[in-house]
Amino acid sequence: MADLEITNLHVRTDDREILHGVDLAVDKGEIHALMGLNGSGKSTLANTIMGHPSYEVTEGTIVFRGQDITEADPEDRAKAGLFLAFQYPVAIPGVSVANFLRMAINARREEPIRVKEFGQEMRGAVAMLDVDPSFTSRHLNAGFSGGEKKRAEILQLAMLKPEIAVLDETDSGLDVDALRTVAQGVAKLHSEQGLGVLLITHYERILQFVKPTHVHVMMDGKIVLRGGPDLADRIARDGYDEIRRQVAGDE
Amino acid sequence: MSDAGSEVAAKPGRHREATLYRALDGDGAPAGLSLAEHRDAARALFEQLELPVWRRSGFWTTSLAEIDLGAMRAHRGDAVPSIVTDTVGGLRRAGLIVQNGSATVHAEIDPTLAARGVILCSLERAASEHPELFARYYAKRLPYDRDKLSAGNGAFWSGGAFLYVPPDVQIEAPFDIVYSLDRGHTAQYARTLAIGDHHCELRLREWDLAGDDLDGPCVHAGAFELYLEDGARARLAHVQDWNPRHPTPGHRGEVADVSTHVVHVGRDAYCHWLPCILGGRLTRQHAELVISEPGGDMAFRGLFFAERAEHLDLFAVDLHETGPSGGDVHWRGAASGESRASFEGLIKINPGAQQSHTYLQIHTMMLSKAARLDAIPSVLVSADDVSASHGGTVGELDEDLIFYMRSRGLDRATAVRTIVEGFFEPLITELQDPELEAIVRARVTARLEHAAGDIEAYVTAR
Repeated sequence: MADLEITNLHVRTDDREILHGVDLAVDKGEIHALMGLNGSGKSTLANTIMGHPSYEVTEGTIVFRGQDITEADPEDRAKAGLFLAFQYPVAIPGVSVANFLRMAINARREEPIRVKEFGQEMRGAVAMLDVDPSFTSRHLNAGFSGGEKKRAEILQLAMLKPEIAVLDETDSGLDVDALRTVAQGVAKLHSEQGLGVLLITHYERILQFVKPTHVHVMMDGKIVLRGGPDLADRIARDGYDEIRRQVAGDE
Repeated sequence: MSDAGSEVAAKPGRHREATLYRALDGDGAPAGLSLAEHRDAARALFEQLELPVWRRSGFWTTSLAEIDLGAMRAHRGDAVPSIVTDTVGGLRRAGLIVQNGSATVHAEIDPTLAARGVILCSLERAASEHPELFARYYAKRLPYDRDKLSAGNGAFWSGGAFLYVPPDVQIEAPFDIVYSLDRGHTAQYARTLAIGDHHCELRLREWDLAGDDLDGPCVHAGAFELYLEDGARARLAHVQDWNPRHPTPGHRGEVADVSTHVVHVGRDAYCHWLPCILGGRLTRQHAELVISEPGGDMAFRGLFFAERAEHLDLFAVDLHETGPSGGDVHWRGAASGESRASFEGLIKINPGAQQSHTYLQIHTMMLSKAARLDAIPSVLVSADDVSASHGGTVGELDEDLIFYMRSRGLDRATAVRTIVEGFFEPLITELQDPELEAIVRARVTARLEHAAGDIEAYVTAR
């Protein structure tokens, strides 16, 4: 069984079913790209994996490292080693990036992290993401630009060291330099720590920097096509319409 | 006191509307009265007036009708209550006055400051030992005819506190003035007069504190006046907490607090003022910051937190009598339990106060379905070359924000606490006084702990 094993997942929100039976297996050390147009259900899947209370699982299971977490609280999923980089990170006024990180790290430890160790780790992560050191004393996401918000997400990813991270459109709204920095950060965590990644995107752009091992295409709440890295190239070349025609033809 | 004021005051009932949510506008007590004459006049009015009811159509009523003033005594405390020692005992300071009930029970000042002419003593003592200073400033901007309790204060205040910082004296350490209550059925008429002479710098903290062992209702009728002369700079903080940790669930404390605070900012002077109003059974406060001379500038901050069945009625005035002048008003408040809190912020720019620039923002956060919180900004401008505006937010605990924090491993209760603490944090850090900041943070956190059940029910119901 894979580290993250999603089986026949049906999800509804606001009295409407969004996901109609999703199967997906992600292991540590793998990079899965989940591609699809807006509205296909990608973000619903990301939020459901992390346990957002607005999404109700009506059928199917999510199993993480052998444990059924379908109904688990978000904080327990986080402590077990799951991470979600948000598409639209929210601002937390009055709480600095550093303080928030310290709280999040301490929430998953018995003993609070030592000041020196925390400082070293944070300096390392800040250098990797090419942000000004003053970044960590600013209030989390309050007044941040789009690029800063995404960097703050990856900074948290680097500091919290999950087993598997879901990146929900981390590439959207980034210029190419910011995209490269963020993507290289993710690639580094993958190669150095064996991070497993479920990378949600509708562009192939980020995949130039983070090479996927598996590619899945989602349409209308289902995964309709699976393949290797070449599938992303095909989408870039031919577009989603061609995929849709193929899927319709197969049926 | 104007003639109109006397007429209004003489007719019970009419004073209610006439004094409601209006700026003091410079009206103090009549000039030239001796203290004894002042007390007599105030006493005569006190005896005529009924306890006030502040009523505002469509919003709320603050009524003191339930208070049995006749059952209250002027209890002369003889020791510093433990709540005072526990709260402010270890703080770094330049001087301290503690009043318990109606008596001054402790007074100290750094002797090196006393040698430089700084005065910190009871107001009673200042009236006899520093009569010129006393006569020049006393009640200059504090009328006694606004309602029965302001008259009571003018008539009956005892003990009290007096601070004078001479010209060009700069003091980094804060002065502390504490009004405390440790016995039920006490009427406390608290009175502070503080003066920053030209180009001085001072920090002043005034505390209103009661222990959790009060054995009956009390009234605190406070009057506070601070005068900043040319070029003086002050950082002023009030910490009001009449109900810190009462053990009975749902208990809303024993203290009714009806107070008027006024700060006068002179030419090129500056005041940073941050009242922290943490509540009591019933609180009605009028806080007015007046820029009275050209070049005056201020930052008027405030935070409040009403819990359980507390009633909080706050009126803050940013008054510009002349220009050019600056102002920046920023208040934040939360309400939990079944509390009712209302905050009205008024910007008033008088005729001729050209080139006054000011901004008022009010941010509120609801923490329970049964609480009620009204925030009312208003602007009265009588000059044409000015800028005055207001803004604000009404916040609720946002489920997406809570989810974000939980996705990082924080449990729901921690997430909520962090959000509300973060909500107040921009103001708390402005205190620039780490010891005071820690005290205010701890008291906000304690209120959140009281309200944990409420908040959980509120968040999950939506």
